[in-house]
Amino acid sequence: MAIQVSGITKRFNDFTALDSVDLEVRSGELLALLGPSGSGKTTLLRIMAGLESPDAGGLLLNGEEALGLKPRDRQVGFVFQHYALFRHMSVFENVAFGLKVRPRGQRPSSAEIRRRVAELLELVQLSPFAGRYPAQLSGGQRQRVALARALAIEPKVLLLDEPFGALDAKVRKELRRWLRKLHDDIHITSVFVTHDQEEALELADRVVVMNQGRIEQIGTPAEVYDHPASAFVYEFLGQVNRLDCTVEGGIAHVGGGALAIATDGGVQGPAVAYVRPHDLGVTPAAGGPARISGIHVVGPDARIDIDLAGLALEAEMDRERLATLGIVAGDRCSVHIDRARVFAR
Amino acid sequence: MVAAGSGAVAAGRESAVTVRASLPLFRKPSVLPGFGLTLGFTLSYLGFIVLLPLAALILKSSGLGWSGFWAAVTTPRVLAAFQVSFGLSLAAALTNAIFGFLVAWVLVRYDFPGKRLVDALVDLPFALPTAVAGIALSALYAPNGWIGRPLDELFGLKVAFTPLGIAIALTFIGLPFVVRTVQPILQDLPPEEEEAAASLGASRLQAFSGIILPAILPALVTGFALSFARGVGEYGSVIFIAGNMPGLTEILPLLIVIKLEQYDYAGAAAVGTAMLGVSFVMLLILNLLQQWMRSRHAR
Repeated sequence: MAIQVSGITKRFNDFTALDSVDLEVRSGELLALLGPSGSGKTTLLRIMAGLESPDAGGLLLNGEEALGLKPRDRQVGFVFQHYALFRHMSVFENVAFGLKVRPRGQRPSSAEIRRRVAELLELVQLSPFAGRYPAQLSGGQRQRVALARALAIEPKVLLLDEPFGALDAKVRKELRRWLRKLHDDIHITSVFVTHDQEEALELADRVVVMNQGRIEQIGTPAEVYDHPASAFVYEFLGQVNRLDCTVEGGIAHVGGGALAIATDGGVQGPAVAYVRPHDLGVTPAAGGPARISGIHVVGPDARIDIDLAGLALEAEMDRERLATLGIVAGDRCSVHIDRARVFAR
Repeated sequence: MVAAGSGAVAAGRESAVTVRASLPLFRKPSVLPGFGLTLGFTLSYLGFIVLLPLAALILKSSGLGWSGFWAAVTTPRVLAAFQVSFGLSLAAALTNAIFGFLVAWVLVRYDFPGKRLVDALVDLPFALPTAVAGIALSALYAPNGWIGRPLDELFGLKVAFTPLGIAIALTFIGLPFVVRTVQPILQDLPPEEEEAAASLGASRLQAFSGIILPAILPALVTGFALSFARGVGEYGSVIFIAGNMPGLTEILPLLIVIKLEQYDYAGAAAVGTAMLGVSFVMLLILNLLQQWMRSRHAR
């Protein structure tokens, strides 16, 4: 089911959480709402679920006006950041809740409910835990119970608020892959909110980058990472060197002429150049303009701090390349930039 | 030799350790210090402040002997007073459980002007001397009082000097117990659970009975028990509004005072002991009920 958001605005007192947001979620896709805290992403998700009502704008669920509908009538599965499992109910009762509260005519028989819950617990790999209470489960297990509970009502849309936010790094990664696989299997239109760019880029079909209540860019993970539409997107997605520069005749001069970068034109005068650490090349040179101020090896990669005439830069390369270059902290070197993006200041 | 000697020493040490560890039988190992001191203090404090007077009470009543005791507490007048005290305390506690919950709900869930004032008003029954409350209530509900007169004229309902009046006084003094036990639990109830229930298709009523009520029920039972216990022991506010007709509106505490005034110390102690026993059993049942609910609501 497709979701269409048009001109949604939401204010909390004098804070504008959403500023006339337009968005289309395509049927069957897995969409990430990515942004820093306060960017309005959770508010947008809660408006889709009917847990919050906007001050202005429209919302279509599968082509039908949905703003007048109560949460219970929207057929939307919502997974909360801290799961919001019913503490006094067992895993089984939690998952069965959405079926048991249906009006008498639509309520499945108790045998049918048992069968459906067992099926869902099988799906989230929690069959042996049906009798446990939420307090007796780990974070990852709770998350999967929350997911099974949301799926029990056979929602048309699945909305997940920071689904992996409260988990440790290893479980987070496993659960991420598992969720992607689950989505590939059941193809339910899904929207999830995250502030973790790695999560959004790895998991989503399309990423919506949000900032201060507005959408900065919508695109596939490759599009937003390789062709950021704004300075904000560039800074938010991954590590980046931010260099103040002056552009004259298509050449950006950084640090008073210490470095020159060719630009793709369009920008003139004071500007900011963004360079990803892995697009910054380092060559050892005895009389070079830059100095290596530190080398940090993190797993298979190496991060190199460079001091270019008082300007702190960061480069990244794999350890093999580092060994080939044979550089150590304190060496002089020259730097070259393979790729940069320049935005007017 | 040396090896054997050290082995013996080691064995000796080992056995010493096992003996030491097994000495305090019921005590679980803990890093918190001061177990002996605090337990000793707690027991002796409870002994002096609570158990000693109660023991004296039971001792006094035991002077009657079993048959004398039984005769003292099964006179029609005492039995009627039992019915009045426990029955009306239960009724008042039930009323408080319902309406105290509503008060707590409104204080937690809604914002309105004067909310802090209302919040502070809830505690007034705690602070007011009970006799003052009793006099004020009987003045209000008396047949010529502000509330008593219209009730009498419109519905023919007499409040003061009837069991209803006693129930009203007991409701008045018990209200803060329910509000103050339920309020913090309601405050800490995460809104997400209700939102989850709503998004899963539950109506407001289903969300309330399925999510909110089970979460606050242990606190509600605590408030109910406190309100009930307070009602059973209440004296000051009731005697003014009750009318104190033997067999009809006479409460147990008053009956005890009457017996004391007639120098029937053993009889008074017997009624007190019986009251103590019934109260203890009822509170114990409520406590067990609560424990069972809490274990279901594991966290």
